[in-house]
Amino acid sequence: MTATPIEVGTAARVEVVLPEPANRELTPLLAEFATAPTSRPFSPEALDFCADLARTLARRARHLPEVQALAFWMRRAEVTRLAEAFAAREDDATLLVPQGTVFHVPPSNVDTLFVYSWLLAVLTGNRTVVRLSRRSSEASELLLDVLRDRLGEHPRVRDSTLMLSYGHEQSITDALSAACDLRVIWGGDGTVDAIRRSPLPPHATDVTFADRSSLAVIKAGAYAALTEEARDRLVVDFFNDAYWFDQLGCSSPRAVVWVGDEVQCAAAGADFFPRLQAQAVRKGYAVDAASAVAKLGFGYRAAVDQQITGYEFHGSALTVLSVAQFPAIGGEFCGAGTFFQYRTAELLDVVAGIGRRDQTLTHHGFDRAELRELAVALNGRGIDRMVPFGQALSFSHLWDGRDLLQTFTRRVTIGAAR
Amino acid sequence: MLDELLTRPQFSIPQEEKEALLLPRLGELVEHHRDACAGYRRILDALPDGPGRGLSDLPYLPVSMFKSHLLQSIPDDEVFKVMTSSGTTGQAVSRVVLDRTTADLQARALAAVMTTVLGPRRLPMLIVDTPNVVRDRRTFSARGAGVLGMLSFGRHHTYVLDDDMAIDVGALERFAERFSGQPVLVFGFTFMVWKYFHQQIQRRGLDVDLSGAVLIHSGGWKKLQDEAVGNAEFRAGLERSTGLRRIHNFYGMVEQVGGVFLEGPDGYLHPPNFSDVIIRDPVTWAEAPDGQVGVIEVLSTLPRSYPGHVLLTEDLGVVHGAGSPVTGWAGKKLEVIGRIPRAELRGCSDTHAYASAS
Repeated sequence: MTATPIEVGTAARVEVVLPEPANRELTPLLAEFATAPTSRPFSPEALDFCADLARTLARRARHLPEVQALAFWMRRAEVTRLAEAFAAREDDATLLVPQGTVFHVPPSNVDTLFVYSWLLAVLTGNRTVVRLSRRSSEASELLLDVLRDRLGEHPRVRDSTLMLSYGHEQSITDALSAACDLRVIWGGDGTVDAIRRSPLPPHATDVTFADRSSLAVIKAGAYAALTEEARDRLVVDFFNDAYWFDQLGCSSPRAVVWVGDEVQCAAAGADFFPRLQAQAVRKGYAVDAASAVAKLGFGYRAAVDQQITGYEFHGSALTVLSVAQFPAIGGEFCGAGTFFQYRTAELLDVVAGIGRRDQTLTHHGFDRAELRELAVALNGRGIDRMVPFGQALSFSHLWDGRDLLQTFTRRVTIGAAR
Repeated sequence: MLDELLTRPQFSIPQEEKEALLLPRLGELVEHHRDACAGYRRILDALPDGPGRGLSDLPYLPVSMFKSHLLQSIPDDEVFKVMTSSGTTGQAVSRVVLDRTTADLQARALAAVMTTVLGPRRLPMLIVDTPNVVRDRRTFSARGAGVLGMLSFGRHHTYVLDDDMAIDVGALERFAERFSGQPVLVFGFTFMVWKYFHQQIQRRGLDVDLSGAVLIHSGGWKKLQDEAVGNAEFRAGLERSTGLRRIHNFYGMVEQVGGVFLEGPDGYLHPPNFSDVIIRDPVTWAEAPDGQVGVIEVLSTLPRSYPGHVLLTEDLGVVHGAGSPVTGWAGKKLEVIGRIPRAELRGCSDTHAYASAS
């Protein structure tokens, strides 16, 4: 299971961030790391480490909601549930084993994602190499600080973890790729293209997370039936889905599709967006000048390329572009509070507009049978997850249509003689 | 027949009168482009109807539109040339479609602006750049285009730098000897004038007398910000090293060629008769009051072949009231702060990080 690191011609050096900060020559570092042991998936050490990390983060990051969400996701009860679900996949004839060395390339601008990706690989018993972005934020600094501190108490996890920082030198990516059994590339199309230039060993595979886009559907009749308070609650959920990562998370909705008759949908939209604007103001959501100009440019380009029937500027945090055709939401996007608004008579009408890039459908007012009917009609055309308002950004090991616990492990079948 | 905005002396029209002259002309251009340019029409159709009373109510296009879309208001067979903006490899460039009429108008307008400080005759011209900046077409740059655009205002073009950005002392001496005591034109990009001309003259202790010269420079202060050199230091420094006192910065862009803003003796940039400026608050997009920093919108009556008559730039600036016609520098007093700082956005896609690194 040990992959041999290839020689790096220029004796390249990297900054080791974790477990201990050091400037190291890459080749001996990788040779050393390849001897670190792997673990049984969901080992007691890994579970303890998660629980410990969750407690510490919950305490130290009270002011950072995205870190709180991360801590909640890895708390003991949750990880134990994950362990049980995992155990159910094994039986006398099936053993799940780690892939070996997993090389993660997380995105530079969702501060918490590297921890999710890394922890799932740790839980499944792998050695993990993480390429950290040089860009730092309060959340990422705090995360690294807490990790450094907690890893000291969990030698088994510490020895199988390597977090590195380097620029975009391909020779280093080449060496890390050649030394892994599984490469996990987040960061969208550009990063996937760049990292794929580095070959993998023949047995290894890539897990790629391409650029994705997401949308929300609301049954106008259900919205009309809500009380004032319930509408405000729905808007708060929607605000969190959309604005948490400046509307640039792949799961953040870019469009609101109203389902119902024309009068009902128009009334619902006219009620919903002013509430959203008020929520943005309450939360003090600020748009800087560059984003404001980018939003303007995006709206104007959309007006040329799509049939915009209404361009509503609800202050700097919210622009609503009403469209007569199903909106094209893929591709470059300005974020920071720009929504297409579209009306359709039936939920199933959206099928024709959905494409492979579409990831998350946040919904309100539809029951499971209706959503299932939509999923059947889509049949893989697009949409990997359907979640109620407020859960767009809730990370799960089921992501982009993949089960990461399965991806991070291999299945050994044990056939005994009868 | 030329418009009175072009024939009257530039920078001579009081702001109020100028706005009254600009409004019907720009209003007519809005209608012209609405009729002639489908993309522009679609934008106007989508936008809510404004009150439509003053210059600030005219619809504006973000300049980035010219990077993503070819917007033209003329049939294909009337296209005379398509100008492109500078841009590093991989970045989108602006494309601006010109017909003969608009190109002619731009040339006349630029001449009208420049002759206010240069006089009607072509002056002996010193170019603070290397001759190769216009020679090698394969590496033709914004700098090359800028130099080329200015060449027609001078004669005896003398390039003062070699390819290593060292001052060609021989060329400088021959130029000084030949045109001693005569008015001359010096042109260069702001940072090059400072870094490779002024600083080198000081370092090498060269004796340069340009007290009778006019310096025209452009390109922005970004590269000088690190050295904390602003307009005041720039002017004082050049006077010390070369005796230059008549110094005019200008502000212009490929999307509005001809409508260049020229720096007056007050140190502010003034729009010529046929141009104007509005500062917008990026939070509300309403016109910002004098003295408040905002996004610069530029207006010009020149663009007929493309809808570039009212543009929202990606620059920050401040208007400090209007100048007085008595001084010869009427029109609003603009201070350009620089490019809007790039947004620090979050999100899942790293495209830009890799695009800029590779």
